[in-house]
Amino acid sequence: MIRRDFSERDIHMALDGELPADERAAYDAWLDANPEMKARSARFTADREALRSAFAGVLDEPVPARLRKVVLGEAPVKTAVPRSRWWLAAAAAVLLATGGFGGYFAGMDGIGQEDPAEDRLAEQAIAAHVIYAAEKRHAVEVPASDKDHLQTWLSNRVGLKLVAPDLTANGFQLVGGRLLPAGDSKAAMLLYEDDKGERISLFVTAESVENAKGTYASAQDGPQAVYWLDKGYGCAVVGSLPREQLAVVAKNAYGQLLAGLAS
Amino acid sequence: MDEKKAAILGEIPRLRRYARSLLRDRDSADDLVQDCLERALVRLDNWQTGESPRRWLFTIMHHLFIDQMRKVNRRGEAAMLPLEAGEAVAQPAEQLDGIASREIINALQAISPDRRAALVMVAIEGFSYAEAANMLGVPAGTLMSRIARGREELRGLLDDTARRRAIRIVEK
Repeated sequence: MIRRDFSERDIHMALDGELPADERAAYDAWLDANPEMKARSARFTADREALRSAFAGVLDEPVPARLRKVVLGEAPVKTAVPRSRWWLAAAAAVLLATGGFGGYFAGMDGIGQEDPAEDRLAEQAIAAHVIYAAEKRHAVEVPASDKDHLQTWLSNRVGLKLVAPDLTANGFQLVGGRLLPAGDSKAAMLLYEDDKGERISLFVTAESVENAKGTYASAQDGPQAVYWLDKGYGCAVVGSLPREQLAVVAKNAYGQLLAGLAS
Repeated sequence: MDEKKAAILGEIPRLRRYARSLLRDRDSADDLVQDCLERALVRLDNWQTGESPRRWLFTIMHHLFIDQMRKVNRRGEAAMLPLEAGEAVAQPAEQLDGIASREIINALQAISPDRRAALVMVAIEGFSYAEAANMLGVPAGTLMSRIARGREELRGLLDDTARRRAIRIVEK
């Protein structure tokens, strides 16, 4: 029997039929000895079955006549009809699937980094996240257990009526918050955590004179910021979640922040 | 009908399935297949008879898809789409019934196009890593990491959906 260390990578290989046959027995033994990995393998297998069955029906659909005609040469290859717009639907699907904000990701790539004020807000927010989200015991100054005080204190310091958004629908609980410098002014940072320990932060400042929104990432694999600037406030949601997931959380947080500001 | 065309016709159901997993909306997916077939027919000489045209056709279609996704991203058109276009896509595609199917289709649409394509090629279309890497034009290592990340992302999105559903039930 082959002896080697297996890893999560092997789960994908086994599932995709890429694990060498002579490693299979050792792999199965490794799975049996690692319940967590075994559960992950079972989950990926179930997800794959769901994927396959979701699309299985397509193979049985009759082939649309227009496609047959293209191949059989019964329609001119270069038609006069306007260029097909399937890719617009693709882009729209991204927007929808991400609750409307995926489009900003798609749209702001490369063009969202031209305005220094936006960059500044996003960079400050990311820098704060990198430093404090990594702290285990000293991540926040005021814990979530003292939420009322946290909100009053930060609202007074920042000069905005701050209501900490409830992100439990996205799986995130408030950890607490802290006060930070932001250029010549002050910013509030609210930290959230999910049950796996993944953290995201909300960075809010009253210093802003323009309207903008977009996404920003300072490094290839670093955390990303989804930000909004409006007259009188700026806000960024920072985290290392998959982009689309971050967009969904950010949208929820932003909606509640706005409602809080106006309350 | 010549042999090449017959072989291409036989691949249409598979191409439609791949397109549907990339784009979800049925008409848009068929538009993509049509673009692919049109391009294939003007380049018929690029395909060596004697072997299945499957991989050749998938390669053409994949590149059409990725090129357009990149152009859309560069031009920022996604952000400027009229709402109507989105609403049309939002209608559940017929044939694809069931909450579980709808949820996994939504989740698949939400992961990045590169990861989605890699995952679908291997998990649904059943291509080997070597075949998929070749068709996608990336090294095998890149393909593997896209598949792994794609699966993780899909799992996270499905968990989120399940959690939201649970919360909605609790709130009722």
